[in-house]
Amino acid sequence: MIDGLVRILVFQGIGEVAAKFVFPLVPGPVIGLVLLLAYLAWRGGVPEGVELVSAAFMRYLGVLFVPAAVGVVLFWPHLQRQALPIIVALVVSVAATIAVSAVIARLLSRGKSDAA
Amino acid sequence: MRPEFPAIHEIWVYLSGSPLLALVLTLAAYQIGVTIYERSRLHPLANPVLIAVTLIAATITAIDMPYPKYFEGAQFVHFLLGTATVSLAVPIYKGLPSLRGRLLPLTAALLGGGVTSIVTAVVLARLLGADETVVGGLYAKSLTAPIAMGVAERIGASPTLTAVFTVTTGILGAALGRFVLDAVRCREWWQRGFAIGVASHGIGTSRAFSVHAEAGAYAGLAMGLHGVAGAIVIPWAISALR
Repeated sequence: MIDGLVRILVFQGIGEVAAKFVFPLVPGPVIGLVLLLAYLAWRGGVPEGVELVSAAFMRYLGVLFVPAAVGVVLFWPHLQRQALPIIVALVVSVAATIAVSAVIARLLSRGKSDAA
Repeated sequence: MRPEFPAIHEIWVYLSGSPLLALVLTLAAYQIGVTIYERSRLHPLANPVLIAVTLIAATITAIDMPYPKYFEGAQFVHFLLGTATVSLAVPIYKGLPSLRGRLLPLTAALLGGGVTSIVTAVVLARLLGADETVVGGLYAKSLTAPIAMGVAERIGASPTLTAVFTVTTGILGAALGRFVLDAVRCREWWQRGFAIGVASHGIGTSRAFSVHAEAGAYAGLAMGLHGVAGAIVIPWAISALR
């Protein structure tokens, strides 16, 4: 498992450096993600250690954004004052996004018989 | 004065000075959230992150711990977000074969959904009188949380506010998805899953997995692709428009 973690951290490191010096607009970990994806495609499979670490992260992804989300305490009065626009924007936006994605996918795949 | 009082007081001073308290608080609150989520039979509103954040916010307010002090301890958990983002490459890699033959509908759905997500949220919030701090936090809200926070930093928005909106969006998508998809008469599992993944990232994806395996796989793929595409396109588009 440690070997998988080391590989992932190396890709994260390369990503951070690339973000700092080459692509300042893209978050470093996303560059690391793309590089790791390219490495997996080149290798033609996922090494066991990387698979283990990734599975653990995906399972506990939720806990990782708790510390940042607790920052809501800093914005609380601000959010309360603007509760209506925020709630309307979030609810309508998520419903519209689901509807648009679903309708586009449905219309463009019409007539194909492979749908299961 | 009772003899044990100073001792307890000293222990308290010692604990609140070390990162241990915030770390234990974070993990324990999340564990309580997970337990409640499982007991409620995975009810979408009993989201573990929502429960954990509520518990921690209430606790640090009650014990008068300032947020920066809490974060000092919790940053060890926070740091792993970047590492978790990199390891998203694995589920994306495994999902790539399912793009075969469906590349056009899925790419178009991702693009249409991504644009809809930003435009509806930003326009509505502005129309209803939200200020620029709030609007800035809405741009990246449909991306998976670790990427959304990175994008927020790049576009000069608050990563914290973005995280709050992202988590809320995920919960809303997981709760409303079924009704919206039925209303637009979308019946194929792969289309339903993909639409949920585009709109509500990880929280929607885990919901999709609990409903149908194929929907879950496509939701995970949509979350990954939206994350990567959004991280590249959103900061670039915003800096071009400014």
